[in-house]
Amino acid sequence: MSNDYRILNTRAPRVDAVDKATGRAQYTDDLSRPNMLYGAILHSPLAHARILDIDTSRAERLPGVVAVVTWRDAGTEPYGVSPARYDETIFCHDRVRYVGDEIAAVAATDPDTAHEAVRRIKVDFEPLPLVLDGRHAMDDGQPQLHEQYENNICAQVHWRFGDVEQGRREASVIRTDTISSKMQDAAFMEPQAVLAEVDAQRNLTMFSSTQAPHYVQRTLAMALNHPLHKVRVVKPAMGGGFGPKASCSTAELATCLLALKTGRPVKFTFDREQVFLHSRARHQFLHTMTTGVRDDGTLAFLEHECILDGGAYASFGIATVYYAGSLLGGPYRLKNMNYDGYRVVTNKPACGAQRGHGAVIARALFEIQLDRIAEELEMDPIELRLKNVMDAGETTCNELFVSSFGMREALEAVRDSAAWKKKRALAGQTRAEGKGIGAACGFFVSGAAYPIYRSKTYHCTVVTKVDEVGGGVVVQSGAADIGQGSDTMLAMITAEELGVSLDDVRVQAGDSSLSVDLGSYSSRTTLMTGAAARDAARDVKRRILSAVAGRIDVPPETLDLKDGCVISLADPIDFSALRDEYLKEHVGFSDLPDSPKLSFREASRIAFLEIGAVVGTGEYRPPKLGGSFKGAAVGTSPAFGCSAQVAEVSVDLETGEVTVDRITGAHDCGFAINRTQVEGQMHGSMMMGMGEALMEQVIYDEHGRILNRNLAEYKIPTSLDMPQLDALIVESNEPHGPYGAKEVGEGAIMPVIPSILNAIHDATGVRINELPVTPERIVRALRRKSVCAK
Amino acid sequence: MTLPRFDVLVPETVEQACSLLAEHGGGARVLAGGTDLLVDLKRPIVQERLIEAGGGDPGRFTTLGDGEPGAIDPWGSGDPPPDVLISLHKLAGLKRIEVLDDGRLRVGALATAREIQRVPEIRDRWTALAEGADSLGSPLVRARGTIGGNICNARPAADITVPAICLGAQLELQSPDGSRTLPGEQFILAPGVTVIEPAEILTAVTFPALSARTGSAYYKLGQRKALEISVVGVAVYVELAGDDTVQAACVTLGAVGPTPLAARSAAEVLAGGKPTGELLARAARAAAADATPIDDHRGTAEYRRLMVEMLTRRTLELAVERAGGRS
Repeated sequence: MSNDYRILNTRAPRVDAVDKATGRAQYTDDLSRPNMLYGAILHSPLAHARILDIDTSRAERLPGVVAVVTWRDAGTEPYGVSPARYDETIFCHDRVRYVGDEIAAVAATDPDTAHEAVRRIKVDFEPLPLVLDGRHAMDDGQPQLHEQYENNICAQVHWRFGDVEQGRREASVIRTDTISSKMQDAAFMEPQAVLAEVDAQRNLTMFSSTQAPHYVQRTLAMALNHPLHKVRVVKPAMGGGFGPKASCSTAELATCLLALKTGRPVKFTFDREQVFLHSRARHQFLHTMTTGVRDDGTLAFLEHECILDGGAYASFGIATVYYAGSLLGGPYRLKNMNYDGYRVVTNKPACGAQRGHGAVIARALFEIQLDRIAEELEMDPIELRLKNVMDAGETTCNELFVSSFGMREALEAVRDSAAWKKKRALAGQTRAEGKGIGAACGFFVSGAAYPIYRSKTYHCTVVTKVDEVGGGVVVQSGAADIGQGSDTMLAMITAEELGVSLDDVRVQAGDSSLSVDLGSYSSRTTLMTGAAARDAARDVKRRILSAVAGRIDVPPETLDLKDGCVISLADPIDFSALRDEYLKEHVGFSDLPDSPKLSFREASRIAFLEIGAVVGTGEYRPPKLGGSFKGAAVGTSPAFGCSAQVAEVSVDLETGEVTVDRITGAHDCGFAINRTQVEGQMHGSMMMGMGEALMEQVIYDEHGRILNRNLAEYKIPTSLDMPQLDALIVESNEPHGPYGAKEVGEGAIMPVIPSILNAIHDATGVRINELPVTPERIVRALRRKSVCAK
Repeated sequence: MTLPRFDVLVPETVEQACSLLAEHGGGARVLAGGTDLLVDLKRPIVQERLIEAGGGDPGRFTTLGDGEPGAIDPWGSGDPPPDVLISLHKLAGLKRIEVLDDGRLRVGALATAREIQRVPEIRDRWTALAEGADSLGSPLVRARGTIGGNICNARPAADITVPAICLGAQLELQSPDGSRTLPGEQFILAPGVTVIEPAEILTAVTFPALSARTGSAYYKLGQRKALEISVVGVAVYVELAGDDTVQAACVTLGAVGPTPLAARSAAEVLAGGKPTGELLARAARAAAADATPIDDHRGTAEYRRLMVEMLTRRTLELAVERAGGRS
């Protein structure tokens, strides 16, 4: 597509690329302070037990141990993610609820001593019966995890949209299907790490690998009873998050508590094992859906029930159970939808948000249902989808308004790019045995419209300041670049607006003291923080141009900034007086401007001389969105991304091994601020979804212990498993996003699992309703089919 | 996971290594590539021993890291960590790979998987061994992991060990008392347990010379294409006679028993027969019957037994083709 942008919509290299590639980038665990202590945490070895006594005396006597903290230091006031479900304490005091639940923490002069001290803490337990199976957690007579969660139900949703009974009368094909998934791990590269320090005024600064400095700042202040304005959270370079790092962790709370208690800097880094123990990753989902369509293929209704196994605590789980229902409102016209969701607690690590929050497995089953219905109607699965997709300007039955929507374009793009019609036509004829092709669509928010706590807060502010010496631009933001590239996005927008080069923009971000930003979750940063950065840059530009205009006595609106210079939109201007003034200030400098145009460097210096500090601000807050029913807030968003994908697989019909041969995906991101980064998010989503479809599962034993709590046995795809990936960018020009941009970070994962599962069915003729689809599950299904055939 | 503290000793000769081992007894472990050993030594974060509380109250437990008599240990923390690692990395002579004048292949115990992969003679003739090395871990693991370590670690799924035993590996062991040679299939007793003496070191693995009409193959089945612990591994070796009947055959199974397993009845089915599809299928069924798999989180016994049959048939077809290809 052609446009007038200089920097936006290009493949500009990431601003952190060289630092990360050369090892210069500082991650939290790279940080060090004089006199620093090392933290360690005592985790429960039992999944459910009463704590009778905690004796830390042997740990405290160990030389090198500076502090040992338990609930006696931390208190027992509950905290959590959602104010409606505060159900965690920093340390357990009367009960442990999963293997890994935190009981105590130690700060010592070196990591070995800290670990040894943890081993010397004596805890007396009285074991309690376990609840490990989410399917039965609600049953009568099950052990109860929390007093406030009757029948172990942490949250439930009962939604009725439209008239499902009317839809049922209109439907000619109705089918019911189920799917179950397993708890998953996000397998980010960088385990959680924290460094906390306290100054003489009791200002607490915490460096942490976090997606949401602002929420973490609030939780630290609340749970540690420390003044909010004396808590600062800084996010150094970061190796991924995907959701589990969006909530405040015990590692963060315990490390800050130790720093406050000792007055010394304390560092604590999770071992990979602790990443699994802490989890807060993808829930286990058990979905049942009944979908009806009319004989022409028009969707008539969806009746949906889901149980989410959420582990021991609420974490983000309330949002998860709502998202699991609400995001089926699109991308298809669906007038009648019922949803009953139950989020239960069990004696396993707490689950939370993970890429495609709540909606990934629901999407998988619904897209499988569409394929099965297409089969019954003898329709092409993509044709069935095209018949039902929404267009821009429509509102879903659960009152989500889609202001831009390239769904049809995305679906047609993957259909044509993957030669769908030709390959589908080969089915059952000359196609090689075990080859299959499948398609699916997806739908996702572009930023949650409401913050986690009830407030009309701005979701982000950006402060952009021009150096007093002229030339350089600093963008200050609380936004968290967790690896997705938001710093580069902020730099590109600022450089575009001010007409300067990317090298002249410095992004300072991920620091709660710089601005409010709700964080990197719900695919919100480009749309929201991008809009604020655009407005801050425009504010700066206005100040510079009016200062310059004042000096040369022209109307400011006749000036603009372009290609590093001030240009006149009207008559040519003689800048020589301003030039002389600048040159007199810089006697002896060699890189002085000499073109007839007034450079940005000169203009910004002149502006400072005229008005003092040149600072621009921008902020973003979504308009009021959504319906008035209970839970209507979850799923609302200023914009919605949509995506389509075609997967091609080869299945070994004897061993069940699946090779994904090619994935063709198209995603409507509204407008690609950076084309390479949009493709990167799509590639990452394809890889992550492929792992979830085929291999990822956290496996528990009968005591609630994770058997595969390492990356050798928790399988994610290797580079050898990855197929050819074709990422097609669709740009629908979102009216509510900066420059038309909206999300890609999470929406791109939505069609991955179902397109692979639909392709496996095409290849094998069997459907597997339990994820991951391992070779063994395929072989079992094939054998069942051959037995039935006989 | 944290590594315990230990000393690393670096002998310059095999003799020194043996005497250091003798000196430190059971407190020492031999360090070759370290790709298994260092991982095994790491202590899990959650490993507190649970000890039944005193006072006759059997329903109560106490965590205490360093254990006490009568402790129950549901985490199975196993043997105490070694005080000393004896690193063999200076024993350059143990890296040598050579085809001897009599046609045998001799692979030094410190030869890495990558080095084995890259020897054309091994690829061409002892193919199953090369394919085992190909399938081990990842490029990083293959660059460090050694044949000696793979064998001495004694895991039933070991990707080099299974084909090595199939190809008739003879293990050369050296100790302060001298040296001895042992057939590979007699070496491993149980997971992690071998017949190696406390002061003994595996120095080389020798493979019998192969006639022109032999073929071998190894197939590793897992969930992904690298960094995988086999769900099932099958190595086969076939030698054809002049009349195209099977003169000798061996089928060795990985991950379907406590040790790499010789499928003897499969070999018996093959011996003397014409390698038709029917015969190979019968041998594959015999191999499945020989397997003794268990259910674990990597796969069920039922699936593994089924896969032994599938993969034995496939690897046999491949090995026969390879044997025929040289006639």
